[in-house]
Amino acid sequence: MTADRRASWFKGVLDLLVLASLTDGESYGYEIAKRLGAAGFGQIKGGTLYPVLNRLEEAGLVAAEFRATEKGPGRRYYSLTPAGRETLSEQGELWLAFDDSVREVLARAGVR
Amino acid sequence: MNAMNAMNAAETGSPYLEALGARLGELGLPAEHVRVTVADLGAHLAECGGVPEEEFGPVEEFARELAPGATRPAPTPAGPGVETWRWTADTFVDEELLGRFGDEGWEVERVDALGRFVCRRDLARPQRWEYRRELVTRGREGLDGRLAPDGWEACGNWVVYAWFKRPRAASLGPAAELSAVPAPPSRHTFLSHRFYAALALAVAALTASGATVALRADDATSGLGFTTGLLAGAAAPVTALLLTHRRRDRRP
Repeated sequence: MTADRRASWFKGVLDLLVLASLTDGESYGYEIAKRLGAAGFGQIKGGTLYPVLNRLEEAGLVAAEFRATEKGPGRRYYSLTPAGRETLSEQGELWLAFDDSVREVLARAGVR
Repeated sequence: MNAMNAMNAAETGSPYLEALGARLGELGLPAEHVRVTVADLGAHLAECGGVPEEEFGPVEEFARELAPGATRPAPTPAGPGVETWRWTADTFVDEELLGRFGDEGWEVERVDALGRFVCRRDLARPQRWEYRRELVTRGREGLDGRLAPDGWEACGNWVVYAWFKRPRAASLGPAAELSAVPAPPSRHTFLSHRFYAALALAVAALTASGATVALRADDATSGLGFTTGLLAGAAAPVTALLLTHRRRDRRP
């Protein structure tokens, strides 16, 4: 039950988390997964992450550039677009307001 | 060109990625997009050291996640040269009717939330279409992939059924084009005699049961109570039946 609920929350904010993880500069899929994992979200499977990256790219919120590497087949590097920054700011504020409301109700119910 | 032909096995080094690339190509992703996607995922696997199926999930599911546009094509807006029509039928006759209307040039684009086949017909160059229905009670893993090589494309789902369409041009060539088409049917609902017979049988059985109990007990309220009990007991399967007859757009 707890794991299901966490998974559900995570699914709801993964796009925001991905956008947020690109604010410091471009990155690629595996690195984004590692960063989010290190932030406490556990192991993020490629099957979860790449469809989100695809959707963000289709929505014009991130730009992707494929670069060949000396070793291996090459990677797609993702960077935030101006629209992505704007969306992150707007949606991030909405999430924080939602979080405040949840905290307030829980505090009133004695959950600390 | 098949997108996967642009890439040989040595490049991906993984049957999973090869299958994924082939499927993405079938779903309509451009060859170059398929190439860089597969290369990127290959790099991901090399770095995390994971097993493809565990990291990305089943090929079919992952391919559809990566090609959402292919999964759910945008409905074609009706224009001057296109007419649209929505209709529904019970599952005793839907296959027969799909065949008939397909031969009149109606192409099913999707099944809407009210369970209707949403159809369009190109008036400038009407084409014949053919359909097939598949039972997907155990999921549709691999089904689309098996049918795609024969030209079948998913066009709607409803709980346990999935419908696929294919232009008759695939088998008839230019002969599949219609020189003239009949007017759109005025009806929108097609319920078969078998459907009504099943319904009448259920009502008759219920009435007879209630009457028998009332006569034996010499008390009309006993019959009414028995009938009410039967109705309550039948609520679950009837609900399931109604759900089975209500087509829904999935995904979904």
